[in-house]
Parts: sequence; C-alpha cells; structure tokens
Amino acid sequence: MTARGAAAELADELGSPEWGGFEPGRVRGNGFADTWRSFVTAARLGWAMEANWTDPVLFFIYSVAKPVSSALILVVMLDIITGGNRPEYKGFVVVGTALWSFVVAGIAGLAWSVLDDRERYRMLKYVYVSPSDFLVVLLGRGVARVLVGGAGALITIAVGIVFLGVTFDPLAVDWPSLAVALLAGLGAIVAVAILLAAIILQTRQDSWSYPEALAGALFLVSGAVFPLTVLPGPLQAVGLLTPMTWWIEGVRDALFPGGLSAVGGEGSLWLALTGSARPDQLTTLVALLATGTLVTLAATAVFRASEGRAKDRGLLDQTTGS
Amino acid sequence: MAAFVYRPTASPQEAANWSPRQVLETDLRTIGGRAYPRVTGMMREKSWLFFEILLPFLATSAFVFVYRALEAPPEYIGFVVLGGAMTAFWLNVIWMMASQLYWEKSQGNLELYFAAPMSITMVLFGMALGGIVMSSTRAVVVLIVATTVFGVTFSVEQWGLLIAVFVLTLAALYGFGMVLASLFLMWGREAFHMTQLFTEPVYFVSGLNFPVARLGFVGALAIGTIPLAVGLDAMRQLAFAGVEFPVGTPPPEVEVLILVAMTVVFLAIARWTLAVLERMARREGRLSVRWQ
Amino acid sequence: MPAFHVSVPDAILPFLPTPTIPGPAMSTSAEPPAIEARGLERVYNVKPAPVTALAGIDLDVAPGEFFGILGPNGAGKTTLIKILTTLLLPTAGTARIFGFDVAHDVKKIRRIMNMVAGGEQSGYGILTAREQLWMFSQFYGLPRKDGWRRVDELIEAVGLTEQALQRVSTLSTGQRQKMNFARGLLNDPWIFFLDEPTLGLDVAAARSVRELIVAWKAAVPGRTVTLTTHYMAEADELCDRIAIVDHGRILAIGTPAELKHRVQRESIFRIELDRLHGGTATLDRIPGVVSAAPAAAEGGPVDRQTVAVNLVLETDAILGSVVAALSARGSNILALRKSEPSLEDVFVELVGRGFDDTDDDGQNDDRSPPARRDDDADGPAAAGDRADAETEAEYA
Repeated sequence: MTARGAAAELADELGSPEWGGFEPGRVRGNGFADTWRSFVTAARLGWAMEANWTDPVLFFIYSVAKPVSSALILVVMLDIITGGNRPEYKGFVVVGTALWSFVVAGIAGLAWSVLDDRERYRMLKYVYVSPSDFLVVLLGRGVARVLVGGAGALITIAVGIVFLGVTFDPLAVDWPSLAVALLAGLGAIVAVAILLAAIILQTRQDSWSYPEALAGALFLVSGAVFPLTVLPGPLQAVGLLTPMTWWIEGVRDALFPGGLSAVGGEGSLWLALTGSARPDQLTTLVALLATGTLVTLAATAVFRASEGRAKDRGLLDQTTGS
Repeated sequence: MAAFVYRPTASPQEAANWSPRQVLETDLRTIGGRAYPRVTGMMREKSWLFFEILLPFLATSAFVFVYRALEAPPEYIGFVVLGGAMTAFWLNVIWMMASQLYWEKSQGNLELYFAAPMSITMVLFGMALGGIVMSSTRAVVVLIVATTVFGVTFSVEQWGLLIAVFVLTLAALYGFGMVLASLFLMWGREAFHMTQLFTEPVYFVSGLNFPVARLGFVGALAIGTIPLAVGLDAMRQLAFAGVEFPVGTPPPEVEVLILVAMTVVFLAIARWTLAVLERMARREGRLSVRWQ
Repeated sequence: MPAFHVSVPDAILPFLPTPTIPGPAMSTSAEPPAIEARGLERVYNVKPAPVTALAGIDLDVAPGEFFGILGPNGAGKTTLIKILTTLLLPTAGTARIFGFDVAHDVKKIRRIMNMVAGGEQSGYGILTAREQLWMFSQFYGLPRKDGWRRVDELIEAVGLTEQALQRVSTLSTGQRQKMNFARGLLNDPWIFFLDEPTLGLDVAAARSVRELIVAWKAAVPGRTVTLTTHYMAEADELCDRIAIVDHGRILAIGTPAELKHRVQRESIFRIELDRLHGGTATLDRIPGVVSAAPAAAEGGPVDRQTVAVNLVLETDAILGSVVAALSARGSNILALRKSEPSLEDVFVELVGRGFDDTDDDGQNDDRSPPARRDDDADGPAAAGDRADAETEAEYA
C-alpha cells in the first residue's frame, strides 16, 4: 500500500468529512478545562516516571531514607551536646528536618523536570509548542515528587514520635491551622520551585545539584533546625521575609502548641520589632500568606522572563552536557 | 585528499596491535580529553559559582548555627566546617561521576565511548579530574571563609600525614565512585534515584557533622566501608590535634592504612565491575537503549 | 519541435551492456576478510515477547569493498552493525573483523574501526565542533597537537570550516552529521561502519555526505566501508555489493546489477518515434525482440505526432538492430529511455511486498527494540510514491 493509499484509508476510519478543514473553535480552546487537563496529564506522567520502579521496596527506601537520615543527623548532634537533656529541642529539629525534606522535594520536582525533559528526554520543545501552558505542565510534572516528599516527611515525623522520643499529643493539635499552614506553605514552596526552574532554563546540564544547594541555603535562614535568634540581625531579617520560615513555624506550632518558636525568643529580631516574645498562630498564617504571595509574584515574573530569554536564545531544545 | 590519511599502517593487524606504551599514552590522553569538556563547561557557564560555592557555604553555616544554638564546644564548629568542605568532593563523586555513565547513555555518547579503543576507566578519571576543579574551589571557599567568619582554630601537628590522608581520601572516594558508576550503568533509570540515597544517609553514617564514633557500631561499619567516613575522621583527628575525641575510632595512622586498602580495593573492583558490566550491557543490548 | 536525430552508434552507446564488475575475490587464507560472519543470531529479551532481530546471518566482505546492507526498518541492519562494531554480543554465531573476534578481541577491533550513525544527537552541547572532535582524537590516542591539526584538516575536508568554532548544540542536522563524519575518520579506520548516515538530512546535505564517503574511499582505496541504508538509490549509487535483508535474514547478495538482473532478465526500452510504418508488428519480427507494444503518450505538445512503443529485448545489444530497422522504414527517434528495475523491485520479488507495505497479517513488523533514531518519514514513503508513479506511467 502506498503512503497516499494509507492516508486515504486513515481519513475514512476517522470518519470526518471535514477532516483537515479549519475549525475556529480549536483556536479558542476551553479555558480552565484545558488547563486542568494539562495539569492532570502532566501529573500522571510525572507519577508514572517517578513510581515506575522495578522494585517497590527500593522506592520506599529511597523515599524514606533521605528525610529520616536528615532528622537523625540533627538528633545525634543534639544528643551529643545536650546529652538528651533538652527534649523540647528534639521535637523542634525532627519536625523541622521532616518539613525540610518536603521543601527539597518540592523545589527539586520542577527544576529536575526542566532538566529531565530538556537533556534526557528531549521533549521540552514539544511540550512548549503544545497548546498547554508550559508552567502548568511543569507544575504537574513536579507533583509526583512533592507527593513523595510529603510521604517522606510524614514518615519521618512518625519515626521521630515512635523511635526518637518526640512527645506528641494528637488531641492538642490545632488541625484547622495545620491545614491552612500546609496549603499556604505548599504554594510558597512551589513558587520557589518555579523560581529555580526559571534559572535552570538558562543553565547547563550539570545543574542537577542546584535544588539541593538552594534548599541548603534556605535551610540557614528558615529556622528549620535552630531558632533565628542565633543568626546575626541581617540574616534574621532575611529569615522573616522567607515564607518557609513562617510555614515551618505555623506547622510546628499547630502540631506542638506552645513549643519552641524559631521566630521569637529572647534577643530575636521579632521581639525587637514587635515587642512580643513569639508570633501567635494568626500572625504566623498572615505572614506566611503575605511572604508567599510576594514570592509567588516574583517567581511568576522571573519565570516568564526566563521563558522569553530561553525562546530568544534557542535554549529550549539545546543539550548542554559536559 | 591528505586529510583523510593519518599514520598509514601496512595492515589492519599492525594497526590493531598497540604497544603497552601506546595503550598508556592513549589512557593518559583520554583523561585529559574527558576532563576538557568539564572544565570548559565550567568556564563557559558560571552559575556554579553561586550554586556550587556560595549556597553550599550557607548550608554548612546552618549546621554551625545549630551547634551555636546548642552552645556546643568550639571544636564542633570546626568539625562541621571540615565536613562541609569534604561534602564538595563527595557530591562530585555522586553527581559527576557515579551517575555520569548513565547520563552519557541518555545522551547517546556511551556507545561512542565503548566503540572507541580507550579504557572507560580513564574516561571516568577524566570526568573526576574535571570535576575536581569545581569541588576544590568549593572546599577551599568553605574552609577559608567559614574558618574566618566563625573563628575556627585548627591545630595541626602532622602536616604530612594530614595531606596524605586528604589525598588518599580523594583517591578512595573516586575509586568508590567508579564502582558506583558501573553499578549505576547496570541499574539504569534507578541510578538517578540512587544518588539521593547517597547524600543524607551517607552524611549521617559518615559523621559529616559530628564525630562518627558517636554512632557506635554503625560508625565502625562506616569507617570500614565508606571513604568519606574514615577520611573525615582521620582529618579531624589531625586537624584538631589537641581536642579530646570520643573513643572508638582508630588513630589516624591506622586510618591511613584503611584508606590505602580502600583505594586499591575500590580501583580493582571498579576495573572488574566495569568490564563485567560492559559485557553484560553488550549481551543485553543496553549500551544504546535510552531511558532504561 | 525538431526530430531527434540520433545516429545508430550514439543511440545505443548509453545502453550497451557495461562489463559487470565482479565482486572482489574472496580473501585468501593469508588475508582475512574485512567481515566474516557465520550463523549470526541476535534475540532481544523484551516484553511482551522476545524479538529475533537476526535469524542467522552468513556474510563475507572483502577488504577494500564498499558493502551495502539494504532493508526496511526493523530488518536487523542496525543490530548487525552493533554486533560488528562490538557494541552488542550475538546470541549465537560468530563474527570477525579482519580476523579479530567481535566477542573477544574487542580492543583490537576498536582500534581499527569507526562508526557513524544517522540522526546522531550525541556530543557535548557546550563544546564547539572543533573541541568536540579534539576530545575524540584524544580517545583514539592522537598526541595533543597532532589531534588539533588533524581536527582542523578534517573540518576543512568535510566543509565545516565556518562552523568549527560554533557550539555543537547550535549546529544544524547536516552540519552535525558532517562533524560526526569527521569524528569517524579521526583514527583513519581500516573499516568504516555507516549506519544510515544520511537519515534525516536534506537532499543537499545527503549528497554532501555521500560525496565525502566516496572521496574518502577514493583517497584510501584499501579501506572497507559497510553502509546500512533503506534508501535504495543510495545503495545503488555507492555500493560494490549489496545484501538485502529482511526479518533478520539475508535474502540476496550481489552487485546492484546482479540483483536487478534477478528481477528482469530482458532489457526494456520505451522509444518514441515520429512515425512507424506497419505498426509494432514489424518490430516483433526482428530477432531478439521479445515483444513490441504500443505505449501510452506521456503528454507533450498536442500537435506532436508521436508513436510510443514499449520494447522488450532479449539483451541490450538487440537495440542496434531495432534502431537500424526503424531507420530503414524512415522513422526518426524522438526519445529513447531504458527502464530498469529498482532495488525495491528486487525486494518485492524476493519478499512479495514493498519496503513500506504490511505483511499478509496486516502488521508492518518492526523487529528491533525501540531505536534511538526516528525514521525519516519522507524518505521511504516518497520514494515508494515515485516508484509507483513511474511504474504506472510506463506500463499504462
């Protein structure tokens, strides 16, 4: 059968007498429905790639070992110095490191999707020229890693409670505040991820380690494993402007009401600025939303600028290995 | 056309039989050749100065502040700084060496490497050498800046031994990296995820931020198997000679011998595993199938 | 339009049988073949069922030969090349390159061979073309300065001088393939494997690559080239001998002329005349003429009085008699064209379907695992269309 014959047969099978004709409706699209479909499709793809393991046990180990090890590092450091005499710190560092592993997973998700699709699968250009919004597709692709990070964080907290002596009272948890903090924080993490993805659009293949590097730097100013009072004033200010700081503070305060505060305390910048020893739950959530919104706006603007520069310089379909 | 002819030989048999000198020269040239794109890439795209130097310094600083928050003795700050400096080399081994053959396969370069006459071990050496430029810069920045900013005081009594430990640690690390490179080639797409297992879990068992002796049996196991653990412990003992260390790890002289043994063993295993795995990859047709 | 006056000798000269170039003599025991394969098999263990890419290949290629492996997608061409270039082990059988075993003498073979594949996207995008080539020169053991010099010579030879300092990621497909070709020549290989080297290239770039191959072969006549392709014209143009493969087996081996002769032993001509007294029956009576039948007009000016005849002759030499007879009857030859079978006709004869057609079971079998390179969708389909159009016009 010739190519023309095959094409004619295919046209018959498709059954549309207008096949090949221009339909204006296709140009308009279906608004949010298209966006949602793009997101869900990209999320399914991301999950298929993330979870397509030959050994589920290994997948589980990978998902859990990293965050649990992070927590163990801090717990051992704590035990060495305090000899186990500061139990309130244990919950502080376990929750902090558990949540931080979630941050790392969230930031890495989008960034690695850009690198994966551009360098390994060489699909980035095809995704870009499709009608789906590029950013929406990237967000969808990153969802799987965020979910894996979330599962790791939960398991780490559970390990801390069961094996590391972290005191936890489920009846004391402020569940509504916890839910709001988690959602708002997720948005902020995704915003930082978008920011990094924008940068990685411009860098070369060897930037696989950049998400960890950025997360490591934010680790310094987010009060994840030590109170901000330990930092010099300018760094405390950076910490107060970082949404992760408020996210961790909000989640920690919801899970362990009345526990150690990373933001407030004696000698803290917060105390100097507001006169209060520590922020209350409402203040924390408002600060989280405000800083998260700022970062989201900045990240979106940076991403669009980076996208434009990438298009201008032909970076979307280049490979940059060395 | 003259360009098409290069050192004509009388027969393919003559061209195929290289002298040991030719083999050695090719191996050395391969190291330089493969290091070239890595170094050139760093010069042409400089985002690593921010992401691989400045940000990691901040990450190391975070652990310094943890100890400050806990009012730890000052030598613990020094432990963290030294650990932060060595992290640079470990990450180079993991990201730019162990998983590199896997990336090369994805890019289609792997089969070109295997179709060429040089040893793949030398290609890995070249990658490592090229990456050392970045890692060394990072380690030096962390060491010098953190030492200055946080007021770390070193007291070294045996400089020669310290330098020997450092060099042997690198040799053992990169030998270990070569073993991982061959395993990652076998494990395929799982390799990307395996690199995650080799960060925090290894940091923990290697005592990156605390003396590994604190981990008891786990620490002892790490001393015997992970170059980062034994090298870091030896360097700490030598760099902070006046400090009392937790009992449980061998003295630096013994740890040097452990590092020598590790280097020899890892390099031998790497040679063997690379050969075995190349044969396996050729048998299963994996050298050119991407995304596997 | 003036009549096309052609003297008898001029008319038949182009169509006189040319001496068949015999295949190079098989090597004596003192000189091993460039390629020697016996019972080569390769099975891929993939899901849902194992795929047999090679089902028993026996092959001898002499040193200095330009050997082609022609077949549709999934025939096993790339698998065969990968075995011969030591990238893949056979499941059964043996193969040797200049006497060296592909399974055991791997290093030796790699020192004397090189390979270039079509659609290659390998390389480090951050390097320039010149640097990329120099890096590979080091892998082949060239001294550092020698490497730069040789790279510059090859860059000039392949016509990449203007792009030498451009990053690899910015090269066009054709430029990248020229760079790949230069890489393939760095070590002056004794045997050069080309796996669909013009895949995905435009007409000019493909022609350029073919010219490079021919120029290299002419410069180093003792070297062997093994080319896999599914472009018939390319194989026809370049190769001394061709093996036609399908479903992992060699269906036929021979020179292009020998292969075509399997399909069409007679010589077929289309001849256009201004007049033909007595009709085609007068030609039938000429000894050596198998048949002479009126042919359909192929267009041209409406007022042109032409008589077109399809002639089937026992051999090309009979053409002289026909032309003499026509001249004697006062006919003037306006056009004369020989119709030759294509290699696809040979393939159809051997297999019963074209390169693009499906099997009887409705499957267009792809026997190899997912390949790195995408097919050039235009090439085989367009070629098939053209062949069909020509066939229809000739025999209408």
